[in-house]
Amino acid sequence: QCNILSLSLAHWECVLQRATLVRKKLSVRGGGGWRSGTLFCTHFRVAFVPKDSPKRDENTDLVFLEDHDVALASIEKVVAVGASRTKVVTANSTLKFAPEELLLYCKDFQVFCFLFDRLTPDTQVMEMTCAIARAYQPPRPGAVLAFQNSAMGSVEMKQFLSNRQRDTSMNWFEAAADWEAELERTGAVGWRVSGINERFEMAASLPRFNVVPQKVLDTELKNTFAHFSDGRIPRWCWRHPSGADLLRMASFQNDIYHERDDVRNLEALVFGGQRQCVIVELVEEMPTPADIHVARTRLRALCLGDVSLPVAVPDDKWLSTLEGTHWLDHVRCCLRKAAEVSRLLREGHLTVILQEADDRDLNCVVTSLVQVMCDPHCRTVTGFQGLVQKEWVMAGHRFLNRFNYHRDRDKEEAPVFLLFLDCVWQLWAQFPSQFQLTVDYLLALHDSVHLPLFSTFLANCELERSRHTKHLPQCYTPVNGWREGLLPPGPNSLLDPPLPPVWDWALQYSICKRACFIQPRPPAAPRPPVLNGNLNLSKVNRALGSVFLLSHGTFSCPPQLLPWRAGGGATPYRKSHRRAPSAEESPAPERLLRAWNLTDASAPTPHQDPWEPLLPLLLAPCVGLWKECYLRGALQAQPELTSCHLVEQLSQEVQRLKEALAPPSAPKAADSGGERRVQ
Amino acid sequence: MLSGGGGGSGGGGGGAGGGGGAGGGSGGGRSPKPSFVSYVTPEEINLTEKEISRKEKQPDLLQGEVIFCSASPIRKCTQDDFSQRGIFGSLFCTNFRISFISDETQLEEEEGQVFKNKLYGENDIPLTCVDNIYRGFDEKKKLITSGSVRNKYPSKIIIHCKDLRVFQFSLAFAKEEDAKKIFQGIVHHCLEPKSLKCIFAFSYSEKMTFSSENQTKLKTVMFDSMVDWAQEMKRTKGNCKLVSANADFNISTKYIWCWSHHSGCALFKTASLPLMQEDGCSQSYRTYMERYCTCVKTEELPETLPTIQDIQQSYNKFKQFFLVDNTTEFWMSDVKWFSSLENSGWLDIIRQCLTKAVEVVECLENENTNVLIMEEEGSDLCCVISSLVQVMLDPHFRTLEGFQSLVQKEWVAGGHHFLDRCNYLHKDKESPVFLLFLECVWQLLQQYAPAFQFSETYLTVLSDSVDVSVFSTFLFNSPHHRATTIQPVSLLAQKGPLNLPTVWDWSVQFNSAAQDFFTNPLYVEKSRQDKVPRKTFRPKHQRHQSLPSTAFKSSPKKSFFKDETDSLKKMLRVKRISRWLNPTDLTQSTTREFYEAWQRKPLDYHGLLLPCVDGPALRVWAQRYLRWLPEVQIFGGGAMTLEKKLVDLLAEVRELRGKLDWHCSVDFSHRGAAALAGSSVRLSSAFPFFVSRTWSFKPAIPSCLQKNLITGTFADKEDEDSECLGVI
Repeated sequence: QCNILSLSLAHWECVLQRATLVRKKLSVRGGGGWRSGTLFCTHFRVAFVPKDSPKRDENTDLVFLEDHDVALASIEKVVAVGASRTKVVTANSTLKFAPEELLLYCKDFQVFCFLFDRLTPDTQVMEMTCAIARAYQPPRPGAVLAFQNSAMGSVEMKQFLSNRQRDTSMNWFEAAADWEAELERTGAVGWRVSGINERFEMAASLPRFNVVPQKVLDTELKNTFAHFSDGRIPRWCWRHPSGADLLRMASFQNDIYHERDDVRNLEALVFGGQRQCVIVELVEEMPTPADIHVARTRLRALCLGDVSLPVAVPDDKWLSTLEGTHWLDHVRCCLRKAAEVSRLLREGHLTVILQEADDRDLNCVVTSLVQVMCDPHCRTVTGFQGLVQKEWVMAGHRFLNRFNYHRDRDKEEAPVFLLFLDCVWQLWAQFPSQFQLTVDYLLALHDSVHLPLFSTFLANCELERSRHTKHLPQCYTPVNGWREGLLPPGPNSLLDPPLPPVWDWALQYSICKRACFIQPRPPAAPRPPVLNGNLNLSKVNRALGSVFLLSHGTFSCPPQLLPWRAGGGATPYRKSHRRAPSAEESPAPERLLRAWNLTDASAPTPHQDPWEPLLPLLLAPCVGLWKECYLRGALQAQPELTSCHLVEQLSQEVQRLKEALAPPSAPKAADSGGERRVQ
Repeated sequence: MLSGGGGGSGGGGGGAGGGGGAGGGSGGGRSPKPSFVSYVTPEEINLTEKEISRKEKQPDLLQGEVIFCSASPIRKCTQDDFSQRGIFGSLFCTNFRISFISDETQLEEEEGQVFKNKLYGENDIPLTCVDNIYRGFDEKKKLITSGSVRNKYPSKIIIHCKDLRVFQFSLAFAKEEDAKKIFQGIVHHCLEPKSLKCIFAFSYSEKMTFSSENQTKLKTVMFDSMVDWAQEMKRTKGNCKLVSANADFNISTKYIWCWSHHSGCALFKTASLPLMQEDGCSQSYRTYMERYCTCVKTEELPETLPTIQDIQQSYNKFKQFFLVDNTTEFWMSDVKWFSSLENSGWLDIIRQCLTKAVEVVECLENENTNVLIMEEEGSDLCCVISSLVQVMLDPHFRTLEGFQSLVQKEWVAGGHHFLDRCNYLHKDKESPVFLLFLECVWQLLQQYAPAFQFSETYLTVLSDSVDVSVFSTFLFNSPHHRATTIQPVSLLAQKGPLNLPTVWDWSVQFNSAAQDFFTNPLYVEKSRQDKVPRKTFRPKHQRHQSLPSTAFKSSPKKSFFKDETDSLKKMLRVKRISRWLNPTDLTQSTTREFYEAWQRKPLDYHGLLLPCVDGPALRVWAQRYLRWLPEVQIFGGGAMTLEKKLVDLLAEVRELRGKLDWHCSVDFSHRGAAALAGSSVRLSSAFPFFVSRTWSFKPAIPSCLQKNLITGTFADKEDEDSECLGVI
């Protein structure tokens, strides 16, 4: 009974099963070894309460999970290890032996290992195993809802959540003012925030507010949506301090008639304020979401060393197996694309448009990577959160389908966001002192993805997300039939628990864990960017700008690149696959080429310019495996004290010393002053 | 000084004019030292005389160094994927090195040049450091063997160095006879077998007098006297009687079989490495041993570890990935990088050695048995294993001085055939056994950085020093060989015995600022209380007994908990099923248990350290292998930046502490990389070795398709936009 008391149960949480005298294998970071205590299984989590755990402080913030707990929803596989065999336990399987050991393989690469004692009754052990097996696996889409309800379905919890203040230090990109703040921060001129999609009438997957060129009026804008698949028009993302703009869009709708007025507006949209435009296609050379999914699955199998699988990878074949997963290749691919774009942006005075068929997967990866590389602000925790908010959440990455929380979209499942996190880690590993955020932060974000509790990840686009919350001013039902497919099917019961955003870290992590999210000695905040050169807007109207396609590492300008240009009497170009001979179409490529080669003498300054992009090295010896994440669960893992931790320790030491130094110094000064007076 | 080859960014060709007149001006030269035993043909000596007259272009010769031949203009090619750039200069071949002196105005000491070797510069290759010479033509290259060249000379030679540098010299611009001579001279001196006396160290030390103060100043125990051995015994609390007898034996006879003896961490553990050369002797020794020790466990190394030839072959394959002639080649290998690394088997050899060492440690630590490591000659893998065991067990050997003493004890006094293995004389007995040991230590170092007082830079430099034929440490096959070699020379010269510098006298190679890089800023020194002599072993032993996790053998909790060993075994069985099927791997599983048991204990950096040998845990020694490749250097990034931050923080902590006069439990080493402190220079990840001089941004995006750009998809240009070029 007293054990139950030590588990700080929320009122609504009920214990399904309890087992005493259990030992848990501690993680490497937790110091290793075993700890004995009591194991609980509730509707929401598998909780482990160590014997001698200190009483929980009532005043601390509510934390969903405590240090030793694992949420049911993040469990991927339950393996029972008996005296002579191992068995994967599912909801339907019957257990014919009493396991001595229980292994919980989690989706986030953690492995929990519980050891039962001889004195624990066999029935208890078996029931516990079955209880977890039944509870963890959501057999139908509604199970996630049940999980959410058990986590925060109670009245108290709802109240608590609705009273929480949201983090105002980060940019949420929800209101028009947020976008304006971003325009101001980056120093972008010639752009405005358009509210034309405020009711999601124009494009259901786009956010309410989008940044478009100043000179395109909303009325003009309206007609351009149809020219892009899903209505995802070119939208401004970011401005490089050199004056180059980064845009993203979906593929063109080719079977549409281009009216003359439309063409003018489309041109303006594509070129922004610039005369040159480079379209970067993210179809070729890049992994498909399916590729990413396969690679991730293989990586899991390699890193977890699953005991239920018959053959483990021998040590001397480990590296080639790692190569065979192609995960690192995909990581390199994304980083390479982003580095290419960063280098283009560095040259300034052009727009770079990332184009992907639906603009909802790899575009998110590459745009945000470019910004992490180029913008020191995006390497801080708040900046990074804003970035994810801007390029993923608002831009309509299909989190819900890609993570397949409901297990009903197996074909669409692809951890694109996790690939992005790995890319960021690679950058972090190569330039550790350029980041304010830490690996702990990245890990926390990585793990949160597997917890279906956050509004951030539980929707495919802003429209869906706003339906969940009551922030939606009026529930607007679209009139046109074509949008109906976007409505979530079935009863809209998801409205029930108010889902918090993932950025409310206090819900998940205790204050000391959150302290580790920020490097103790962050790089100095950069000066605000100085705009380089003026925009000459009058020039733009004079003639058509030039547009290039960057693919396979070369620039080209295929005639049908902008469909409206190819259509208007330019048919000879299309027939002969020659390049356009006019000077109009191929001006000054040497500038782009130079941006490309970067052998210019101005580059190698010995002192770090904060706006210099972090160009990662992508040769195989430089790309590493994120061991802190993927090898956490490996049975033979070991702690590695890195310089990072030492920096942490030392800066704490500095802090301590400074604190110790501060109070005595004040009286001392007073003393010396007094002495002087006496003399 | 010799740092010529810089200049860099401007691209080659500028200095071509200065290199003219190769054959000009003769006479007036010094004649080579008569004492020098040389293979040089008379005509080469003539050439030497000619060249010496041109004083402005002469390398700064070391004492006793003589130029054999030279040629100019020679173009040193630095190849990237776009263009052949090069620097013109002269190439010299001396009895110590191949040296390239640039014609371009030499840049004065650059900021990053703190880490400069006094003996040879960045464009110098010590003769013993030459690994392979290739003849380059078109895009291909062909290995040159010593016998194969007579009258021909190639237009381009490619030299692969043992420290993994790659040089390309174009001979096409020099006069034909010069080119022929320098080529033949280089091939002759680098590839053909020669006698020990030809090695530069001897002519060097004749001229240099190393003050004995220098020697005594060093704290490294040299293990060349009985006192050293006795003290070591005292330190480790070994079996004193046995030791002194052995030590006496060792020193007095100077017999070729040389063996050393160390005691493990606990009182009654002893491991020995005898040379099993003659059965009678070894038998008598065996009985001798057994009289003193209750039991001896014998480890036959050849049964489980790869042979010397395997090691050599594997390393040859491995290093090819890092000897990069041109970048495109490197990018080609990139696709299959991991599997090709794996195929070379080098990492697996490291793994095997570490595993074997852990097995031995287990015997000493857990079973308290004496271990006898046996090998045919007792001086190759025996040295590796025994010294590894000591590094793992004894924190003393993880300090700088302790490590040097260890090498001195196990390798130098232990009779490792350095001369043969380093292939100074080109006798085909080469094998990187010592490097293998350093590799293993590096793996330990990167897994447990705070436990080591020395840095990876130290290990890298040590591995380089092996190939500089100056140090007595690596010149001989055994102490006996050393004594017999040195003695007659002293008689002839009517001086004291030759005073060869040891490698441990780092001031020969580096100034004190550079030596700061040898210490590890992460090193956690033992706290003061623990420093009471040798107390550490005892508490560790007690802890060892009291911890429940060691209770694998006899678990006190057995009655209470189901024996965790069972389940662990089960997991192992399931996970490592392939291994368990193999009966010889039985020991491996107990080793794994031992490792797991050790792992459960809190990590003590001053206690036993066991390496993790899993697939992902073993890494490539990036600093050593990748330092010369600009493609893989991270500018303004890498671990170096963190280290710099650490140094800054340490300085701050020290300053604050000084202010406060406050004694803290955590005490970090304060030295180390002092040159880093305070500077805001953007460092390369290969910092102390390769300074960002001639670099382009190239590395960022390896795309073999970039050539398409050059071949010109855009022929027509328009300068209209060039006015708005805004470069940050």
